[in-house]
Amino acid sequence: MLEFVFIQHPLFKPMRRYLLLRSYQSVLILKPDIEESRVDEALAKIGEFIKSNGGAILKTEKWGKKRLAYRVKKNRFGVYLNLYHTLEPSGVFDLEKKYKLFDLIIKFMVLHLADDELERALGRDEESDEAEGEKAAGEKAAGEKATAKNDEDKG
Amino acid sequence: MAETKKRSFFSSKICRFCNDDESKVYIDFHDIKALKPLISERGKIVPSRISGNCAKCQRLLTRAIKKARNIALLPFSVQH
Repeated sequence: MLEFVFIQHPLFKPMRRYLLLRSYQSVLILKPDIEESRVDEALAKIGEFIKSNGGAILKTEKWGKKRLAYRVKKNRFGVYLNLYHTLEPSGVFDLEKKYKLFDLIIKFMVLHLADDELERALGRDEESDEAEGEKAAGEKAAGEKATAKNDEDKG
Repeated sequence: MAETKKRSFFSSKICRFCNDDESKVYIDFHDIKALKPLISERGKIVPSRISGNCAKCQRLLTRAIKKARNIALLPFSVQH
């Protein structure tokens, strides 16, 4: 069943659109100096935001603490979260407003995903995780080798 | 002859994204390892003339880099 809704947006006149669920990706940067338990709390709260706009979270990724390429609100580091979720198109503006008001989030980006992009994103998880794990292990081994070499040089 | 010499000086004229197969190309904005080599020291996007990417991939790449810049994964500019 398709229904008509009026999309409320301050920049555009009300438009008549079909009410459908579309898939989105939200990338959020949280404050760097918070504990992991607070990250989970924030995730729960963000889940409520999305639910209140008629969507559901499909997948969450924690990219962890990363160095930012430039300062954001005087922070040099940030905790990255990546969410794949559905949403009513009329709720995007509301969701962005809630992100803006949520004090733990220092920067965010909401992207609309095409179907093939979403499929790829959801299918990617296990393989990439494994690959990353292997890579990390490889890097660790390389690092150990390097340190060992350094020790030899010193010795 | 001169042209080929010049070309070999930079890099081979092979698109590094769609070279292998003809399936649809995806360039993720969060895949920084793939994007980093295509950015100059100043943070500018390297032109396809130099990197050798095909026009279609260069367009996708540009979009990916701009998204990455927006979410602070890549710099807008590097200060000296």
